[in-house]
Amino acid sequence: MSDSEAPAAPEVSTEVSTEDGSPAETPDRSSPTTPDNSTDVAPTRKARRRPEIQPVADVKEKPKVEEQPAEAPTPSQSTVSQGGWGYWGSWGKTILSTATATVATVGQGLTQVIEKAETSLGIPSPTELSARVEEEQKEQAECREVPRDSSAAVESAFGMLSSLTSVVQSTGKTMITGGLDALEFIGKKTMDVIAEGDPGFKKTKGLMNRNSTLSQVLREAKEREEQQTAETESSDSEKKMVAHYGMLFDEFQGLSHLEALEILSRESESKVKSVLTTLSGDERVQLRADLELIKESFSLVEFDDEEVDEKKDEDGSEFERELTESLEGLSVTATKEKLSKACRSTCNQITDMTKPEQEEEGSEEGVKKTLSVEDVHTAAIRSLAELTARSIELFHKLAEMILFSNSSTEASALSQLTVVLCKEISLLSKKFTSCLTTAGSNEKGDVLNPLITGVFLEASNSASYIQDAFQLLRPIVEISHIQRSAESTEQ
Amino acid sequence: MAYAYLFKYIIIGDTGVGKSCLLLQFTDKRFQPVHDLTIGVEFGARMITIDGKQIKLQIWDTAGQESFRSITRSYYRGAAGALLVYDITRRDTFNHLTTWLEDARQHSNSNMVIMLIGNKSDLESRREVKKEEGEAFAREHGLIFMETSAKTASNVEEAFINTAKEIYEKIQEGVFDINNEANGIKIGPQHPTTNSTLSGNQGGQQAGGGCC
Repeated sequence: MSDSEAPAAPEVSTEVSTEDGSPAETPDRSSPTTPDNSTDVAPTRKARRRPEIQPVADVKEKPKVEEQPAEAPTPSQSTVSQGGWGYWGSWGKTILSTATATVATVGQGLTQVIEKAETSLGIPSPTELSARVEEEQKEQAECREVPRDSSAAVESAFGMLSSLTSVVQSTGKTMITGGLDALEFIGKKTMDVIAEGDPGFKKTKGLMNRNSTLSQVLREAKEREEQQTAETESSDSEKKMVAHYGMLFDEFQGLSHLEALEILSRESESKVKSVLTTLSGDERVQLRADLELIKESFSLVEFDDEEVDEKKDEDGSEFERELTESLEGLSVTATKEKLSKACRSTCNQITDMTKPEQEEEGSEEGVKKTLSVEDVHTAAIRSLAELTARSIELFHKLAEMILFSNSSTEASALSQLTVVLCKEISLLSKKFTSCLTTAGSNEKGDVLNPLITGVFLEASNSASYIQDAFQLLRPIVEISHIQRSAESTEQ
Repeated sequence: MAYAYLFKYIIIGDTGVGKSCLLLQFTDKRFQPVHDLTIGVEFGARMITIDGKQIKLQIWDTAGQESFRSITRSYYRGAAGALLVYDITRRDTFNHLTTWLEDARQHSNSNMVIMLIGNKSDLESRREVKKEEGEAFAREHGLIFMETSAKTASNVEEAFINTAKEIYEKIQEGVFDINNEANGIKIGPQHPTTNSTLSGNQGGQQAGGGCC
């Protein structure tokens, strides 16, 4: 479990949230602004926040559009708006405790647990949510001339998720906003749940607290998945669900790149520290100020979730353009290419999944039905794992290039990149869940819901990993800055 | 999928000696004559079997360029095995071996198994370094030695697997502390551990990681 290079630098910034249940941990690990007690503050905040969202959606929408989403998912909608929000604060905790009581294994066990928590609390089921998204997207296609409408509508469909976000945002500092953030909240909880639900893991937690890095946690999760796979190989009923994010992530070398990035980050961090101790007086004050600036640009990751829903980007070309833009001047062409390619193939996959069914409903239905929900789920998990691994690889290569070329790299460009990547993950997870909903229209909720929840969970985890990798770049940008200023004073 | 052990390898040596090609031949069983210059480090992984046990090799293929040296050195630590590669058709790559070796020994653990590889053995007509010279260097510095060809795949499997065998033997002899991951060895998820605390964990928990 403890990683090969762990012993030397235990208290690095890469520690992962295994020790407490704070949902605010990921986005803000390096920023001092989010207090750990945010969970407790949450209920009131959310109760206030929710009404804010609804009117916005209403005002923006044309009356016709407004009625539909309000009617269709009646039960959950009403639960949600009438005092159901009081539960929100405890919702996360409930997941946690329920999961702790159950034996929580990665993936299947967990999603079931969470589903249980959802149904018992009257939270809109993922199926409904996803259906609503789909509905909105259809509407969006219909009334293209007013794209803002539908985005607002989607936002309202994701209202349940968005309002969770306020937990994360309780300090007022906006990290990545909107639905994805809420997913991340769930995702981080998942990690905690995994930790809590596994006594074996718990026993080693003392070590984890001090030494764990993200790649270790991931490796552990992957190992558990491997073991689970081995154990369930004989029982066929379990076999269907097996699409293991962690194993796939490792297959795409995501773990290795993360590990390597962590090594560079850690070494840079200790170099920065030692430079700071050798400086004195004005020099030190100046450097501290510089570092503070860098730190700031690493804590302000913002993106407008509305944008995510507005554009369709069917073939991934839009993503490619944004990616190229944000990587301009950074020599990581080969890696960028890999990522774009992965994204394009994912988009093609999604197109293949959606188009035939809509176009050829009558004639070839029998043939098309071969795509089961499990297939879609597997494709979704696989794509998320690949895109995340490629994103981590990109950050790793960027780190190497920054250290290697020692050219000035703006932290803002890196945060822009993070936004682009997270948006893409968010977008794809939404597309995949809507594929799931379509493919599983004949399935019962207890089959479909865990699958949809699973996709959302892994998307949330993906975004967390990407943001964590982004944070790992901070010491690297810092040491690069120090070296550059040292060079310029020498001249 | 599950493995008994995971070994971390590094591949080092001058630029252009065929490090990435060796890796590609080992992991994908193919040869790619034109290869992009490796930036920093790239990765490959493959499962092998030794003594009936599944062993996963996680291979870190480092950039050979001098200018990347300060970065790639960071990756040496925690490797159980190293493939130190030179090109038999380029004398200078052989002459640099001492520097590479010093570097490797300095930045990794002392038990790391090092395999010296004279690559491009298919280019016999352009040979500049005799096989005997490679053997002598290896003997002098306590390395294992082999000539390989990433192009024809000759000895490529053997190079990776023999290194793993050596590491495995060292584990059996107790030279490597397998519970210390700084040695570049990890016990797989299903491997019964000797550590009493850990086995206690596993007894009670089906999902016990079995690692530490």
